[in-house]
Amino acid sequence: MARALRLAVLVAGLALGVFSLALARRGAGNSLGGGSAFAGAAELAAGYALLGVGFAALMRPRQARLGAILVAASLAWFLLEWNNPAAGSAFVFTIGLVLYAAAAPLVAHAMLAYPGGRVAWWPGRLGLALSYAGSVLVLGLLAAAVFNRASEGCAQCPRNLLLVGGGSGGAYGSLNRAGIYLGLTWSLLVILLAAGDLVRATPARRRLAAPVVLAGCVYLGLVAADFAHSLYRGYLGNDVLDRRLWLGEAAALCALSLTVIWAWVRAWRTRSALAGLVIELAESPPPGGLRDVLAGVLHDPSLQLAYPLADGRLADGRYRAVELAGEVTPIVRGGQRVALLSHRPGLLAEPALAEEVAAAARLALENERLQAEAWSQLEDLRASRARIVGSGDAERRRLVRDLHDGAQQRLVTLSLALRLARARLGPGLDPALAGRLDEAEDELRAALADLRELAQGIFPVILAEEGLSAAIEALAETGPAPLEITALPGERLGSSAEAAAYFVVSEAVRQAAASTLKVSVARYGTRLMVEVEGDGAPAEIVGVQDRVGALDGSVTVVRGPGGRATIRAEIPCES
Amino acid sequence: MRVVIADDEVLLRDGLDRLLTEAGFDVVGKAGTARELHREVELASPDVAIIDIKMPPTHTDEGLVAAQEIHASHPGVGVLVLSHFLESHYAMRLIEQHPGGAGYLLKERVSGVGVLADALVRVHEGECVIDPTIVSRLLGRARPASALAQLTERERQVLALMAEGRSNKGICEQLFLGPKTVEGHVTHIFTKLGVGESADDHRRVLAVLSYLRSAPQQQA
Repeated sequence: MARALRLAVLVAGLALGVFSLALARRGAGNSLGGGSAFAGAAELAAGYALLGVGFAALMRPRQARLGAILVAASLAWFLLEWNNPAAGSAFVFTIGLVLYAAAAPLVAHAMLAYPGGRVAWWPGRLGLALSYAGSVLVLGLLAAAVFNRASEGCAQCPRNLLLVGGGSGGAYGSLNRAGIYLGLTWSLLVILLAAGDLVRATPARRRLAAPVVLAGCVYLGLVAADFAHSLYRGYLGNDVLDRRLWLGEAAALCALSLTVIWAWVRAWRTRSALAGLVIELAESPPPGGLRDVLAGVLHDPSLQLAYPLADGRLADGRYRAVELAGEVTPIVRGGQRVALLSHRPGLLAEPALAEEVAAAARLALENERLQAEAWSQLEDLRASRARIVGSGDAERRRLVRDLHDGAQQRLVTLSLALRLARARLGPGLDPALAGRLDEAEDELRAALADLRELAQGIFPVILAEEGLSAAIEALAETGPAPLEITALPGERLGSSAEAAAYFVVSEAVRQAAASTLKVSVARYGTRLMVEVEGDGAPAEIVGVQDRVGALDGSVTVVRGPGGRATIRAEIPCES
Repeated sequence: MRVVIADDEVLLRDGLDRLLTEAGFDVVGKAGTARELHREVELASPDVAIIDIKMPPTHTDEGLVAAQEIHASHPGVGVLVLSHFLESHYAMRLIEQHPGGAGYLLKERVSGVGVLADALVRVHEGECVIDPTIVSRLLGRARPASALAQLTERERQVLALMAEGRSNKGICEQLFLGPKTVEGHVTHIFTKLGVGESADDHRRVLAVLSYLRSAPQQQA
């Protein structure tokens, strides 16, 4: 619709309101809104509220159809007064005869069609067809065709332009009665349909439509009550109860208009936040920063952003596994879910908003998703490295235990047996044989010493059993270079962290010159810091770097003045 | 002297039994686990228990734990722990937890009946016994310039014997020196090292071992 046409509709609607109220006041006895200033104000308020909201909806491309229905409902609301004998004009009176009951089906239509303007659900369409048939066709057009002012006892009524033939009092009464029965039926049916439609809607749409449907159902409930009240009487009238119900309808329509406006306000706030998003993203946030930006511009601190990984897991922008709770909106691009947003209920209730988020944050989202994917693969790799190192250590420990419990124990037993055999031979032993036995015992002692050293080199028992600090102190007793230990942790740490820290120190000791090494091992929260300072950097730290790297730690060599160098390892450790 | 032997290796346990019996000891009980050991100590009331450091079920430090428990329940029973491990850490742990009448020997000492018998007698008399190999390793370790360098050869010998847990009388016998001479050496050593002298043998061993293990740098 052209802008001028829409403006013309607005002006016409405003004029229609004033004209109808004037008409009602002239024939106050037969009107609903003409009896008092309050009723008149209510009439104008409800009609203008619908008109205003309808006009605003007309201006919105996605809601023009809804706007048209609302504007029509507002006009019909005023036309209720036109079947007044005081109408003064046959044309006005005839229009009133046809359309005086048309407001209710139009409001029902707007409610079922909210927010877009189309009713897609077939039972809804059926209910609406019934409502139009009952109120516009039966109560309106058909009844008008047989309304004869003479036979209805309304001498002062203007002429009925639609009267076919002479009219029939009996037919008019029957049609009215049928229309009222039909009206009671359809109004209750539409309330049920609206509720059913809400139940089957998506949570987002339900949250969006619920206030409008609630207000609409209150209105229809009052309409149904008036139909019920009119059943016995046989026509829609304006007695005291009719007027009260009608005042309630006016209030319900004002409320309905407000709920439509409220939905716009909410959407507008979110959308203006999204405008901020585009500006924020121009400065490309750091990894994981997109969530903070979205949470900030959408004013939802609880907002969570998750990226579905190839293997089905979810990771956040900082590559941690996440579980989403609450309302989740997928962000879809090219038919693929690139991200999931969990947020405060109703935040992205309008379906278009999620699309707008996707559009505004497209590059940043894609970037973070790819990084999350890459990092999760790296994390898998790191975990696999840690497992390899861990199982290697377990294997070494088992080997050492086998050496101690097996070979070493047997050698000791053997040396004992040798000693016993020698004792059995008595004191008068052939000196040559005695010499041989001495040699054998010496060999055994040397074998035991070798074995002990071998086991120590594979994996020090003291590290596994007494912990890192005891193992480093033991290192100080055997190493080629003096150790000056300035700090050691007082508690046990995870076995892999302890092993990594131990091998950093032992490797430095193994490769050290004869000058003193300064060793410090200290724990800060979840990081274990190991520092070994000595003359010259060790030539070979790749093995140590691999071991520490497998735990997601790092090893660096810092060269100081005078040829001094410090190996610094940072090892994550659980508490 | 009544001795109980605890070792999960049957061959070794029996061999040790024969060796000690031939050397004139009275082996009154044998055990394969810490639990059996407690029962033997309870029933046979031995003077000394010889305990393997590794026993079932975990084969880690059951021997040290058992020694501590024996000290708590039967303070009069000496313990001699046999170990594969040279680390002074374990020896320190033992004599800290079992003050007086405790010994830590390398397991291969079982074939040297002289060393074993000497250790048993000393433990029975309430002395501490630290394996000489551990002491020589501590003395010989690489260390920054320290007060140890100021000791004479004789003083180093006396220091090593103190670290092994010997009393002044024992040191006299080992070095064929008079009591006055040994006392003089001991006083000199403690003065040079800057360690407070302790009359109590047990505390003296701990002090000397701690000094050797920590290896403080020489005061400038």
